[in-house]
Amino acid sequence: VRAPPPATRSVRAVGQDGVGTGALRLGGASFGPDQGVVMGIVNRTPDSFFDRGRTYALGAALDRVDQVVEEGAGIVDIGGVKAAPGDEVTAQEEADRVVDLVELVRERHPDVVISVDTYRASVGELVCRAGADLLNDAWGGWEPALAEVAARHDVGLVCTHAGGLAPRTRPHRVQYDDVVAHVVTTVVGLAERAVALGVRRDAVLIDPGHDFGKNSRHSLEVTRRLDELVATGWPVLVALSRKDFLGEALDLGTDDRLEGTLAATAVSAYLGARVFRAHDVAATVRTVRTVAAITGRADLALGRRGLA
Amino acid sequence: VSLVAAVVVPGAALLVPELAGGSVQQDAGLREQVLGAVRALLAEPRGRLLVVGVAAVTGERTGTWDWSSLGVRARGAGGGPALPLALAIGAWLLDVCGAGPDRTYLGVSPDSTPQACGQRGQELAAAGDLRMLVVGDGSACRSEKAPGHLDARAEPFDAAVQRALAVGDGTALLALDPGLARELQAAGRAPWQVLAGAAAGAGLAAELTVAVVPYGVCYLVARWWRPDMPTRRTEPP
Repeated sequence: VRAPPPATRSVRAVGQDGVGTGALRLGGASFGPDQGVVMGIVNRTPDSFFDRGRTYALGAALDRVDQVVEEGAGIVDIGGVKAAPGDEVTAQEEADRVVDLVELVRERHPDVVISVDTYRASVGELVCRAGADLLNDAWGGWEPALAEVAARHDVGLVCTHAGGLAPRTRPHRVQYDDVVAHVVTTVVGLAERAVALGVRRDAVLIDPGHDFGKNSRHSLEVTRRLDELVATGWPVLVALSRKDFLGEALDLGTDDRLEGTLAATAVSAYLGARVFRAHDVAATVRTVRTVAAITGRADLALGRRGLA
Repeated sequence: VSLVAAVVVPGAALLVPELAGGSVQQDAGLREQVLGAVRALLAEPRGRLLVVGVAAVTGERTGTWDWSSLGVRARGAGGGPALPLALAIGAWLLDVCGAGPDRTYLGVSPDSTPQACGQRGQELAAAGDLRMLVVGDGSACRSEKAPGHLDARAEPFDAAVQRALAVGDGTALLALDPGLARELQAAGRAPWQVLAGAAAGAGLAAELTVAVVPYGVCYLVARWWRPDMPTRRTEPP
């Protein structure tokens, strides 16, 4: 199966129209170009691949939000439907899982950016009314109306490459002539479409969609060549945490993928990614900050060694 | 003609915010005390301004501070060659306090004898009215984590320096042993002895405002001034 070619669009150069060079503005928050941001994963699902229902109950999900905020997440990403195939979750059921949680988080953490991981425009509409700041469209614009919802509510949008796959389906023998070129063309197209529909330019992110519509070599190549996404000028979000491509790099299960996740996080940070979707928030924050210190994007937190 | 006023300050690079990174606030109290002493020196209008500190290449010179050798690309506006670190700290302090460009830097060898240092100080004072910014620390061996590790001789050495600086006792400063000072990594020994020579017979009043050892290095701030000069105490921390 060869992924269908995306609609061809011109790729913007870095800095053109100020894209990517400025701050990312989501809700009341502003994240500068050199400020790595960790997006903490909060699943209100009974069956997600890594947490397997641990935060399904409302109380447990709220505790999880408190935890990721405490650990340094600038964004919480609330999801009500697992990404992999499984039990059908209707739009009503998904809304029942996430809308109340968004409202409660909005009350409890007025400053945190609330993202909701959904591909459904109807759910997007409800969570925006409940106080969400960002719609994480991880299935690559499957419902084109989702971008219109983001525009209408003046919230942000994550534009993801999922290889044209339908939501909650797995890639099967997907091929790309050049996976990075396909990703760049797709996500830039989605981002420009979003802006054309009225989504704020400084609230649009692109996500290469590791594992989504890709085999592990595709995801590794996207990681290796992430600078080509960064060069489009759009702020890059990476969702790497505990994913299969990292498991296949070492033949390890989800419980043993922390080091792989942090290694991929470090490489992505080095190549210029700005937002990091993560289960292990504290470790990811430390990794991103260390890379920022290495690259010189951030100063030391303490400068005394050899200087006393 | 003589020494009109002098200020003794640490040569610690962590005083510089651009180098301190996130710890800039934690050491703000010390930084303010040092800057207060330098401002007091600049409040005295008489005398040429001379910065004294240890340097591998000795003698008077001009130049500016430059932190690139410490890993931060930042440089003083004045131009000229990069000064050795102790003198660069002095240059930076003067810049921060708004001193004009009219100043000279004197590097003294950490190996110079007390006699040579004292002699140099006397000659400087004899040449005309002088204000001195003396950059140098006590021992760097005051704790297990100190740059020179813990040395039991460090505390009494520093205590003797403190007493001398607090009362303007140049004789006591000239009595400091260069060998011991070198072993204790006390960068102030030679510059203090230049000060002692310059102050000899000037009848200066003295005040020690800081004596702290936060990171294993003894930081001292002191003012010496001619009593006919209006006393302007340094600001409290």
